[in-house]
Amino acid sequence: MSELHRKLERSAVGFVVAIIFMASIGGLVEIAPLFTIDETVEDAPDMRVYTPLELAGRNIYIREGCYACHSQMIRTLQDEVERYGPYSLAVESQYDHPMLWGSKRTGPDLARLGGKYSDAWHVAHLINPRDVVPESVMPKYGWLQRNDLRIDDLGAHLSAMKAVGVPYSDEMIANATNDAFGQTLPDSDFAEGVSERYGEETNIREFDGDTSRVTEMDALVAYLQILGRLTDAAYQQAAGNQSSQDQQAQSQQAQSQPLGSTAK
Amino acid sequence: MIADHETLVAIAKSWGLFYLIAMSIGVLLYAFWPRNRKRFEKAKMSILEKDDRPWH
Amino acid sequence: MVSQLTPGERIAALITLILLAVIGLFMAAAGRADPLGAHGFVVLLSSTGLIFLLLSKSNGTPPDPARLLQYYDDPTKLGIILSMIWAVFGLFIGVWVASLLAWPDLTFDAAWASFGRLRPVHTTSVIFGFGGNALIATSLHVLQRTSRARLPEQFSPWFVLLGYNLFCILAVSGYFLGVTQSKEYAEAEWYADIWLVIVWVVYFGIYIRTLARRQEPHIYVANWYYMAFILVVAMLHIVNNLAIPVSMGHAKSYSAFSGVQDAMTQWWYGHNAVAFFLTAGFLGMMYYYLPKRAERPIFSYRLSIISFWGITFMYMWAGSHHLHYTALPHWVQTLGMSFSIVLLVPSWASAGNALATLNGAWHRVRDDATLRFMMVAAVFYGLTTFEGSFMAIRPVNSLSHYTDWTIGHVHAGALGWVAMITFGTFYCLVPWMWKQERIYSPKLVEWHFWLALSGTIVYVFAMWNSGIIQGLMWRTYNESGTLTYSFLESLVAMEPYYIARAFGGFLFLAGAVVGSYNIWMTIRMARGVPATPMDDLPVSRLAPEAGE
Repeated sequence: MSELHRKLERSAVGFVVAIIFMASIGGLVEIAPLFTIDETVEDAPDMRVYTPLELAGRNIYIREGCYACHSQMIRTLQDEVERYGPYSLAVESQYDHPMLWGSKRTGPDLARLGGKYSDAWHVAHLINPRDVVPESVMPKYGWLQRNDLRIDDLGAHLSAMKAVGVPYSDEMIANATNDAFGQTLPDSDFAEGVSERYGEETNIREFDGDTSRVTEMDALVAYLQILGRLTDAAYQQAAGNQSSQDQQAQSQQAQSQPLGSTAK
Repeated sequence: MIADHETLVAIAKSWGLFYLIAMSIGVLLYAFWPRNRKRFEKAKMSILEKDDRPWH
Repeated sequence: MVSQLTPGERIAALITLILLAVIGLFMAAAGRADPLGAHGFVVLLSSTGLIFLLLSKSNGTPPDPARLLQYYDDPTKLGIILSMIWAVFGLFIGVWVASLLAWPDLTFDAAWASFGRLRPVHTTSVIFGFGGNALIATSLHVLQRTSRARLPEQFSPWFVLLGYNLFCILAVSGYFLGVTQSKEYAEAEWYADIWLVIVWVVYFGIYIRTLARRQEPHIYVANWYYMAFILVVAMLHIVNNLAIPVSMGHAKSYSAFSGVQDAMTQWWYGHNAVAFFLTAGFLGMMYYYLPKRAERPIFSYRLSIISFWGITFMYMWAGSHHLHYTALPHWVQTLGMSFSIVLLVPSWASAGNALATLNGAWHRVRDDATLRFMMVAAVFYGLTTFEGSFMAIRPVNSLSHYTDWTIGHVHAGALGWVAMITFGTFYCLVPWMWKQERIYSPKLVEWHFWLALSGTIVYVFAMWNSGIIQGLMWRTYNESGTLTYSFLESLVAMEPYYIARAFGGFLFLAGAVVGSYNIWMTIRMARGVPATPMDDLPVSRLAPEAGE
């Protein structure tokens, strides 16, 4: 035993192997099963992919580091569910490359933000948060309204997403630029293709109120309005849990009772 | 993937523990092996030597 | 710098730099419609600048062969200087970003100055800029001394040091421009990540080759920690950054993982970056410089070995405690929690080992601020690891997660442990490296110490308060069974703590400025006065010290 270790250690290479071996086990054990598991990701047949405009908006969300202050992960705790809505399911972020669960809530969680406020509210809030919420400490993002969105390369973005496993069709990739255009210009000829490819429920609106061009504001608001709305799975699961947990919910005494631990 | 999920989880849960125990025994044996005492003593003192040149 | 290179090494350097310049040119051309183009110019300019330096300083004379009788410390010297520059820059951004939460209009309506962009600038500058340069500088110093062997050659250490700083510049300038992967502590995009892998392989090569040349049969334990730092960081970095770029002309890439797998991979990385970058590396520093400064051997060498393997093995399991109550499977959360608690054993073994080493030398700790820096670092290491294990317990985490408590915990570790051990080490190392009897002003070291300590305490207490208040407000119910506070009310309650935090950060920054001045004056002192003979140094310097 000792002799073996001494040899390992004397030749630095053996020592290196020992460190790699020791250190890699934990990661393998924890991560490897997540790739085979089907149960970690629930079924959501209604789940749709991000439209090119929403994806561009998501990239702006990433670029501006919004995730540094806003989580997109409602934990299975009673107060969180009451404050933000049904707890987040794994399936909801299955097309999120990368995920934006976040680690800090300087601002509130955004996992179920979509549809909560009007487009106009979002635009006003992003231009100057303190116009809408006087106590807010969020930075101003006025330039989003001034910047044109780069849409000519969205096809390449969709192909890259496809390469990492998101089911974009060739048609979606080919029409990416037009679809981004169409989603924010409901009266244009391109609008129809968007609902054809991404579903009738897709928001097709002039998000920033300006019909003359596609701005970064359009993209970001389109993304914020779809948060938590790509699938109904979480609401369905919540409805299922609700009936079985009604009694528990009645008593309401626990401040942070883990919900859903029974479901897991 | 070749292995199914249950197997992987089972391996993770059981062998991880055995591995931890084996590792601890191995490290303790090495650290307390009587013959190693002198080497460790030497290593401990060696950095305090006030000699600042490579040996050749 | 250049005069110490052999003719062959100068050619190798030239070829490398030309190659890099070509890559920069290619990036600038392919990415002309993208922030990638700007980074192409950064690469091009830095490599042509170095080519110019190399050619202007190369006079054709080979270096003095007598240099081989000495350790090669020039890269260490530059590393110390770069590290302090990054420290002041990163801490300054930290104070700014902290102030933004109290005075949100300090962005001046500029995109680059908003919180989301400045935050990774701060974290990357302090962790990778300050911490990383300190680790490279000290590891090369410790490696040579404990192996009793000079570095194998003179080119690769420069490649590692300068290449690493190029990575840091690409990363930090990218965040200002909005180039980010959004993976916390791994925000740099794909091309910078690839470059870091190359730099890291060379760094590892230096370690292995020097160890192979060692004259001591046993590898001193500090090197174990440095090795674990290099190897595991490479592993983490490669796996977590797997991504597919949009095109060769785009800075943007899409992570290979999504959703729950991505979250697990990211926090496996994030947690172990703390473990192997901010803990193992700096423990390596502690195990060499603390006994050296105290002039006492480490209390228990065996304990240091046991805690080494404990840390190497167990940290890897603990990452999932960042994802309690999320969509991550329950058993993975439990596993992470259990190992986080067990982890306290090797962590406290290290902290205890350091403090026990000082036992019997407390009078020196009292009189010597440098040693006091190290002592306080060990105390904070012990406190932070305890807090970390505590916060990993699921019910505690339900309160602390997403709040400022986490920020307080991180800074107890980063300011109290990482920065303090580094400053202590630098105050030892600078006089040795520049062959001075002592630092320029011990009094200023004393000032730095108290500024750093009071800054850390103000910061950490502010964040504990705000974090716990925040967490409690979020979960408080009133009698009718509804939530008492709106989110906004919890935010308003934070304001005094955010101001206090910015003030604590300012004190710490002030300390770092004082420290930089002191180090700089020590270097100037070395230039003015001929080297003083010391018992642990050769009387006359055989090779001219040039370059830095």
